[in-house]
Parts: sequence; structure tokens; C-alpha cells
Amino acid sequence: MNCLQFENALSDYLEGTRSSEQQAHLSSCSACSSLLADLNLISAEASSLRESDGPAPHVWTALEAQLRREGLIHEASRRPLLPDFLLRWKTAWLVPVAAALLIAAGIKLYQPAKIGDNQPIAKNVAPGAPVAPAVSLDDKDIMTTVAARPPAQVAAYRNDLDQANAFIRDAQESLKNDPNDIYSQQLLINAYEQKQMLYRLAVDQSDEQ
Amino acid sequence: MSSGKCAATVTAMLMLVGASLGAENIRKDLHFKVGKRPMISINNPYGPVLVKAGAAHEVVVTAILHSDKVELDQSKSHNRVDIISHLLPGSDPVSGMVEYVILVPPDANLTLHSDNGRVRAEKLQGDLTVAGNDGAIEVIDCAGGHVHVRTLNGMVSLNNVHGHVEIMSVGGDILMNGVTGTLVAVNSNSGKIEYEGDFAGDGEYAFTSHTGNIEAVAPAYASIDVLARSTNGIVQSDFSLEPKHAPFLVRGANSLSGTLGKAASSVKLFSFSGRIRLKKRQN
Repeated sequence: MNCLQFENALSDYLEGTRSSEQQAHLSSCSACSSLLADLNLISAEASSLRESDGPAPHVWTALEAQLRREGLIHEASRRPLLPDFLLRWKTAWLVPVAAALLIAAGIKLYQPAKIGDNQPIAKNVAPGAPVAPAVSLDDKDIMTTVAARPPAQVAAYRNDLDQANAFIRDAQESLKNDPNDIYSQQLLINAYEQKQMLYRLAVDQSDEQ
Repeated sequence: MSSGKCAATVTAMLMLVGASLGAENIRKDLHFKVGKRPMISINNPYGPVLVKAGAAHEVVVTAILHSDKVELDQSKSHNRVDIISHLLPGSDPVSGMVEYVILVPPDANLTLHSDNGRVRAEKLQGDLTVAGNDGAIEVIDCAGGHVHVRTLNGMVSLNNVHGHVEIMSVGGDILMNGVTGTLVAVNSNSGKIEYEGDFAGDGEYAFTSHTGNIEAVAPAYASIDVLARSTNGIVQSDFSLEPKHAPFLVRGANSLSGTLGKAASSVKLFSFSGRIRLKKRQN
């Protein structure tokens, strides 16, 4: 079994139908095993977010009733939540990834600042003002991980991390203007994937040294 | 000094330097018998890794170690071969360097990693995963498997590759020539993305960047459904596309949506501030 065959059967695997071939491939393929680990993590995180931060059911019911009264939704118009173009683009697993990332991005954007939280959030930055690179605790941790490397590598890594963070900020800004814009959603997903790659490469290379 | 004497002196010096360097190098030759579709993993922090298709059921590794500050860890279990350049205390990017030339069965699945060395894979048919920091990554004449490339700042070059391709780069440029498949996805930050080919295979071609420019060159006969947008950059096309509904507002010079031919393949070119150009190939 190769990666393509494994991904094609991934939904079955996640639902509990697991073949010995799949298990064998997982044990020999770092890419697929890390993909599965990511999916499990995201799934767990998404579940907890849904439970803790989602509106109560009566809010959805009231919203639906209001939309029906205004004639904005109809019984017959059960269209997929995502445009066909987006459905075709992604493999099935990317949808929960997108959902989790968007939830995380939304929480980050609309969370009120806490006392002592001096990290600027994008919506408070004056237009045209230079944006200072945000350094999160996770970023500090990862920079500590790479600190033992040659100075040039550390500087390059810092620069790459700044670039990934800038990408995330720009995509978040873009998404704030239109939360349903699939283009901005895609940019944000890609920006987070880049940051994930940076973290993974930092940890992988630290393991080998 | 005459030019002849000068050349002779330089040649002699080069030979001496080469001999002294050669004296420190350590050559290792490894052979492994493997079955069908073996899994081969090479982790080499410093130095190039060149992989080519060789005989079936055999993996041949030639490694040049640049000092005794690095050693090879090898393991084989069932159908899996792992080779790691193990850095010893006191090693650095020069003394820890190992140069690999590896012959693998064409159907081998490979995982290759080098921080700063060039990685090159040729004429393979299995899955290929490559990760690196700064070294160039080249994939040539590969078909049939997944090709996953992750790099921070190394240039990525794919030539004549067919299959499922996913590339992610922060600052490295990505150049693709004759790359086709069911999925060709490129995610770049500041690195430019260049594609030249016919977008064949009824595939999904998704190129996204933050600030890097995106340029795609296609022949007039290409059969594509194009969606392109750059928030702060311009979008240009040499083609007269048949207008098509887009899932976002197409306006001004920042976006376009349209089809060419039978629109067999989907082409999405997205950037935040990079320039996007869809060019017609000149015959």
C-alpha cells in the first residue's frame, strides 16, 4: 500500500475499519503516520472547541427560524455548506483541518485582551503602521529548541517564523473582511500549514542532534 | 612566471589540497537486499543526497564521510532500510558532512532529509518525501507515486514529474517543468512559483503564495478552469478565457475567473501580495 491508497481509505480507517495493510503502511511511512496524528489531534481539539465555545442549541434554532421568516432559507435548498469547487479541491481530511483552523483563528481574533497581554492583535493595528512581529509563547519555545544551532541558522529560522506569522496575520485580516470568502480561508489554511512545517522541522532536527 | 609554470603550480597545489582532503574522507559502501516497494529513509544533516533508480530488490549506498566526527547508523528490518548520519560531539557543518549516492529499486518509497545539502531524486516510481532547510531539492523523471517536498529556503525544482505532488516552502523558489497529476499543490510564502506545462491529467493545480510571484506558462491547447486572485498584487493573463462564475467577486486587475478548452483541469492561483501571470507558451 502506498500513500495515495492509504489516503483514499483514510475515512474508513478513521471510522474504525482498519486493515493489516494500512497498519503496515502506517508503521513504515512517517508522512502518513504524522498525518494521522495531526488529524487525531485536530479532531480532539475541534471537539473540545465545539463543546466549550459553541452557541447553545436554542441560538441556532432561533437563527434558523428568523432566516426562514425572512425567506432567506428554504426547505428544498439543501446545498452543501462548502462550494463545489472547494469540495473538489480538498481531500476529505482537509475539511476538518480547515474548520479547526478557522475556529482557532476566530477565537484568536475576537478574544478580548487580558491584563498583561501585550501582544498586539491585528485589528488594533493602525493602518499603515509597521507591524511588529508577534512572538507567542509557542514561538519562544521553538526558538529555544533551535537556539543551540549555528547563529546564521537561528537567524534564518527567526526570519522564517516571522514570515509565517506575517502570512497568518494578513490572511486573518483578509478573512475578517469577509469570513465566508473561500480564498481567504485557503490563504489562512496555507499560512498555518507553513507554521506547522516550521515547528515540525525545528523539532525533527533537534531530535537528530 | 610564465603562464605554463603558473598553471602547473596551481595544478600541483590543487592536487595537494585534494590529496589532503581525500586523506580525511572515509568511504562506506553498503548493500541491502530488499523486497517489493521497500521503504528507505536517509537522514543526513549536512551534505548532498543523490538517489537514482537501480536494480530491483537491491539498495546500494555509497557514502563519503568528511571526517571521523560523523558516523553512519544503519538498520534494516523486514523491508525497511534506515540510514542516519550520526553527528558526534564537536562536529560542525563541515566535519559532519556526508555525501550520499544511493541506488534504489525504482518502486522504492523514500524519505530523504538534509538540512543544507542538495537532494536529488531521479527516475523513481514510489512515494517520495523530501525535507530540507537550505539545500536545493530536485526531482526528475518521477511518476506514479506521491511527491511531498518541504523546505524552508531551498530552491525546489521538479522536472517531468507525474503523480500526486505537494510542495511547501517558506522562502525557496519553486520551479516546475512538465509536472502533471491528479493533485499538484504548492504552498509558498515569499518564494516565487513558476510552472511550465500543459496542466494535463484532469487534475487540481493549486498554487498559493503570500508575497511570492506566481507565473504559469501553458500552451494554447491547455484545457483548464482558472481561478486567480491576489489581494494586493495584479493578475494578468495572455489567454482569452471564457468567463465563468467565481466563488468570489471578480473585479479589476486583482482577480480573474474563466475557462479554456474543455476545462478539464482546475487551476487555482492565489496570492496575498504576489503578482500572478498566466502566460501563453510561444511555440
